[in-house]
Amino acid sequence: MKDLILIFVSTVLINNLVLSYFLGICPFLGVSGKIESAIGMGAAVTFVMTLATTIGWLIYHLALVKFNLIFLEYVIFILVIASLVQIVEMFIRKFSQPLYDALGIYLPLITTNCAILGAALFMVTKNYSFLESAVFGFSGGLGFSIVLIIMAGIREDLSYADIPKHFKGAPITLIVAGLLALIFMGFSGLISA
Amino acid sequence: MNMILIAMIVLGLTGFAFALLLAILSKKLHVEQDSRIEQVNKILPGLNCGACGFSGCLAFAQAVIKERKIFNGCLPAGEELNKEIVAIIGAGETRSGKKKITAICVCGADCKEKLKTSIYLGPQTCQAAHITAGSISCNYGCLGFGDCIKVCPTEAIRLEKEKIYIEHEKCIGCAKCIKACPRKVLKITALTDLGTYYIACSNITTALETKAVCTRGCIGCTLCTRVQNSPYIMNGNLACVNASKVSDEVPLEAAKQKCPTQCIANV
Repeated sequence: MKDLILIFVSTVLINNLVLSYFLGICPFLGVSGKIESAIGMGAAVTFVMTLATTIGWLIYHLALVKFNLIFLEYVIFILVIASLVQIVEMFIRKFSQPLYDALGIYLPLITTNCAILGAALFMVTKNYSFLESAVFGFSGGLGFSIVLIIMAGIREDLSYADIPKHFKGAPITLIVAGLLALIFMGFSGLISA
Repeated sequence: MNMILIAMIVLGLTGFAFALLLAILSKKLHVEQDSRIEQVNKILPGLNCGACGFSGCLAFAQAVIKERKIFNGCLPAGEELNKEIVAIIGAGETRSGKKKITAICVCGADCKEKLKTSIYLGPQTCQAAHITAGSISCNYGCLGFGDCIKVCPTEAIRLEKEKIYIEHEKCIGCAKCIKACPRKVLKITALTDLGTYYIACSNITTALETKAVCTRGCIGCTLCTRVQNSPYIMNGNLACVNASKVSDEVPLEAAKQKCPTQCIANV
């Protein structure tokens, strides 16, 4: 139990996929314009990441390791992620058309969100058990969502700020992202052995 | 050999399992899309020019079906097609008596009239010539490399002697050329029944400076503002047409004849 909590805290805050591994920067900058779409995107990524690590773990350990086919892990993980994204897209389109419109092109782009493939591959290299990888996937997605929502909140306020002309748009966004990464570095001493 | 076979089977089976799952779910979670969207999309010209204000023909079709009105309508297709769309959605109305929108070029000088600073041998695009300050002497005039021609979806623009000619029947008013022009000499205007007159010059400097760079430029002589009932007014050193004062074509044409540098043009 202690291990699971440790994985959870470390993945959400300390080893945040976006701000300390720099994975999934594309949706991080792309969908952080409005809080609503950031929440939707965060939820979708969390869902896909949790399922990707659990189903990925099952296939990896029950099929790949058993038949000595570890070299197939990239192909299999990409297959799993792409299928899951399709399923999530269908669900969102069926049950929430506004959210579907708000996410727009970024929904199919979860397929190529490297944070998810990264999470699946980390799960393998870190040798997690089934439960651990499920927690890892969920907390990875949660960490991504938290960062995305914080960013969206800051950017919504930024639109009212008096920003020098040449810093408007992308430059100030990247500066904010850098500051956010600095802040998250502060968590690095949180868990001491 | 055995390894390859197993790899193929494992990957194939996994792929097949997911494909089956997706196939079942796509049937179960099928979202009924309005068949009229496809219907409208089919009769649109498919230029994706964006003149209607939407990102493309499909986006326009979706908005038309959703809002049950045709907004500004499809400009390239014209009135006839808009009536067909209205028939499909069964509501709203076309904007009858809609003014034709077209692009005009507010630089009327050809290669003999606009003087050159130097022989420009760089990349043959307006964008490049604009930043190097080579080519023509006038800082406001048309550079004449035809960036606008490349972006025009209906081939309405042609270049003769480095002067832009716009075929107004072909122009659909999509404003792509306006974005492409670094000198901003292309403008969008609505045609009126009285004939659309404009000053084919955008040089705002004084007469002396204008004359030094071009023989066709507006020198701010105010002659056109002094014909009877003149709708022309002075805007600094450049004349312009005050649209709210236009009530008759006679003074517009009279001023055009009077202009010493012949820089008033009409459509």
